[in-house]
Amino acid sequence: MPPFTDHEVLELVRMVELETLDIRTTTLGINLMDCADPDLESTCEKVYAKVVHHASNLVATANEVAEEYGVPIVNKRIAVTPVSWIAAASGASDLVPLAKAMDAAAKEVGVDFIAGYSSYVHKGFTRADQALFDSIPEALDVTDHVCSSVSLASTKAGINMDAVNRFTEVVMDTANRTADRGGLGACKLVCFANVVEDNPFVAGAHIGVGEPETVLSVGVSGPGVVRGALARLSPDDDLRAVAEVIKATAFKITRMGELVGRETAKRLGTPFGIVDVSLAPTPAMGDSVADILELIGVDSTGAPGTTAALALLTDAVKKGGLMASSSVGGLSGAFIPVSEDQGMIAAVERGSLSLAKLEAMTTVCSVGLDMVAVPGDIPRHTLMGIIADEMAVGMVNTKTTAVRIIPVPGLGPGQKVEWGGLLGTGIVQDPGQYGCEGLWRRAGRIPAPLQGYRN
Amino acid sequence: MTRRFLTAEDVRRLGGPVIEVDESTVVTPQALEAAAAMGVQIQTGGAGAPRPYTPPAPDRGPDAGRAMETLAHLPEPRGELAGGGMIVTTIGKNRPGVLAEITGYLAGHGCNIHKVSQEIVDGYFHLILTIDVPDSVLFAELKGGLESMGGQDDFVVLAMHERVFRFMHRI
Repeated sequence: MPPFTDHEVLELVRMVELETLDIRTTTLGINLMDCADPDLESTCEKVYAKVVHHASNLVATANEVAEEYGVPIVNKRIAVTPVSWIAAASGASDLVPLAKAMDAAAKEVGVDFIAGYSSYVHKGFTRADQALFDSIPEALDVTDHVCSSVSLASTKAGINMDAVNRFTEVVMDTANRTADRGGLGACKLVCFANVVEDNPFVAGAHIGVGEPETVLSVGVSGPGVVRGALARLSPDDDLRAVAEVIKATAFKITRMGELVGRETAKRLGTPFGIVDVSLAPTPAMGDSVADILELIGVDSTGAPGTTAALALLTDAVKKGGLMASSSVGGLSGAFIPVSEDQGMIAAVERGSLSLAKLEAMTTVCSVGLDMVAVPGDIPRHTLMGIIADEMAVGMVNTKTTAVRIIPVPGLGPGQKVEWGGLLGTGIVQDPGQYGCEGLWRRAGRIPAPLQGYRN
Repeated sequence: MTRRFLTAEDVRRLGGPVIEVDESTVVTPQALEAAAAMGVQIQTGGAGAPRPYTPPAPDRGPDAGRAMETLAHLPEPRGELAGGGMIVTTIGKNRPGVLAEITGYLAGHGCNIHKVSQEIVDGYFHLILTIDVPDSVLFAELKGGLESMGGQDDFVVLAMHERVFRFMHRI
């Protein structure tokens, strides 16, 4: 095999040093099914003990791999079995102690987040699911590292509108309980249609029933690298050239994820799960998906043409990634978390990116309405309508969609809130003056669409 | 009795003077506290050779064994270097002795240089070295040593594992 050319060496150096290429997360999945106990206190003890038992060397191992290979690994996280499943045996109605046990374990092992304070209710609630929903606002208020997610809809099951209504109340309660921090609690809470059971990215990370005892997954990022590559294209190059450049870049980024995933899994002695190939922006300058859309050719993100550009981007990222790894999974595509992307924040400020356009973009991005701020006094049925619409997009298109929306207490349209760190700056979007009280009142279930009947 | 966990509640229920657990049982911190408070010994190893409990190594589950076998043999692009390969990139202001400083450091650690590439433009240089790191040298230490050389107004060194380049640039 020929030695590397200077061009090849410098390309990688440029990606790491100038274009913020990194491994966004190494996430250790830990199955907690064997922690179920008739006594909730004992369940909490077991959860703490098992997480610490398996994850005590996660941070050190990830740092070792990052140091040795010279590739930054930004976050170390833990994903666990949805805890409503293991809490069911206890019959407890207050599950906040479980969140505290998870939080304590996360602090003990030094990870950034622990996710899986979750339940699946796309067809209905168990008593434990109900207890979990009731506990979410307090749990996200009193813990620092715990993230929560719920499954509300699927192409197979339809949309559980009772659950959407209940989730809406949970979002509002969570934001209000953390009003002193700009509704920060709601930043750690997400709902899904067609939930992904091996997602390594928070807030939605958890491991589903088909996953092994422990599993190491990797989330790669790199909007800065794609942006850099596109900036070197001529503005007159054909869109097929754009797709080629994105594919080739996504391939290279994913190869890094594959290497880091294999190596970290080997050192931890755990099966290697998946590489999630997602362009995940950060508030850092240049690490922006909006910048990419604008380089592809829209004046400002949210302008007509944005959905088409995003469709091209998401698809090309997936194609490049799939060639680079046989373990592509998770959400894989392009994320559009509004507050976390400098370019999107600018687009909202400029008035080009509306809530309606964001919803359109979620039909072709890899997740959904993510990190969107709305007024704290939004009517609950309006908020419910926004969430239900997004669930419908996922259900009908057989794709994963999510909603992470923050009703910012005390703020109205156009006002700004700083959540800090990776969560960035929210600018409150105007949800309009009309709601859907009738839909709220009816509740019930939206039946599964024709697409769901494929057996 | 096989048990995955021993909790404080288990300790209170079972009582003393001795509780036998399996080698693989995870005893919770609360159970250890409760046992200490009650004067109960937690032991492994059975009646023949009892030992005080020590936390077990993590059992990663039934898939882990096979994963360890296959992970090491997943195909990956082959390299030409025998030991751990390293690619050292240096950029800085040109002055006499820069190359000697870096290569001298590498020679001191028994590293074999496979390829040198250097260019000088307008008083600045970039230097790329492909080196073979002997098994006796700790990769992280060598990397740390190299990257602490030079300085902001002199030159900067970036050392990366050759495997990263192989994964990215070779199929």
